[in-house]
Amino acid sequence: MKRTYAAPLTAVDRAEVLPGKGVRAEKDVVAHDPYLAGHYPHFTIYPGVFTIESVHQAVRRMVAAERGDWVRTEIDTIVSVSLSAPLLPGDVLRVQADRVPTAEEDLVRVKALCRRSDDVVAAKMTLVLRVHPEEAP
Amino acid sequence: MTAQLTRPLLSHADITRVLPHRHPVLLVDSVLELEPGVAITATKAVTGSEPCYAGLADGLPDSAYAYPVSLIVESFGQAGAVLWLVGTPDDERPVGTLIFGAARGVVVHDRAYPGDVLTHRVRIETITGPNAFMSGEVHAGDRLVATIGQVLAVIRETDALDGN
Repeated sequence: MKRTYAAPLTAVDRAEVLPGKGVRAEKDVVAHDPYLAGHYPHFTIYPGVFTIESVHQAVRRMVAAERGDWVRTEIDTIVSVSLSAPLLPGDVLRVQADRVPTAEEDLVRVKALCRRSDDVVAAKMTLVLRVHPEEAP
Repeated sequence: MTAQLTRPLLSHADITRVLPHRHPVLLVDSVLELEPGVAITATKAVTGSEPCYAGLADGLPDSAYAYPVSLIVESFGQAGAVLWLVGTPDDERPVGTLIFGAARGVVVHDRAYPGDVLTHRVRIETITGPNAFMSGEVHAGDRLVATIGQVLAVIRETDALDGN
């Protein structure tokens, strides 16, 4: 299926939406993904910003499940993100993004914990995403 | 067209001698202003031929072509890394792999699209050993695209990353 938004890569391979609560998602880190050839030529490592992209795409799936495929969910604020362990080809990134209530209906706030398949915490972040319902055709 | 006639302070070729990133994830095109250890102004042209625009469906609205925020942050971080590394003498430069360590207070104000030239203004806040804390803004022309409260670039020993 063709993508409906610009993205550096498909940063979520599998996702399970937990209605009203959040989303769980997985990304298989592979060296042949777009952009990875240059990061780096001598040593491939999943860029930290792509972990943000994985959480972003997981939340997009959550919002699409709740409000329909044609809403547009974009990062509004990276409140905080910290990367604590590298993700290398062969690793599986597991995202658990929990929804935090917000006063504004079109803002979605999540706290995400990202682990590798060996359970080591790779990243923690809090993101605010803005939902644009006007993009519906 | 005077901007095209003025040679940048650092060309793309110069930047490949500073950053380890390579095509298609080398996201700084040129450096216009540089005060080593203090601040940098660098550019990144967004084009529709970048990999992030591959495989999009037909008939999408303009907003589908918003340049990914993750790549804007990466590009800003790379501009900051140029500032950091150019201002550090070779014998004092930490050895290892450059990674994105953390960020906070990144606020997106506007979308950037193919045809826009992003201008990053990055300031170094503090440097402690292999860690550089930076802040700044991203513009596209006179539009403010993002404010970056803080990003942390880190140089980690490659063996420590590889042998995790």
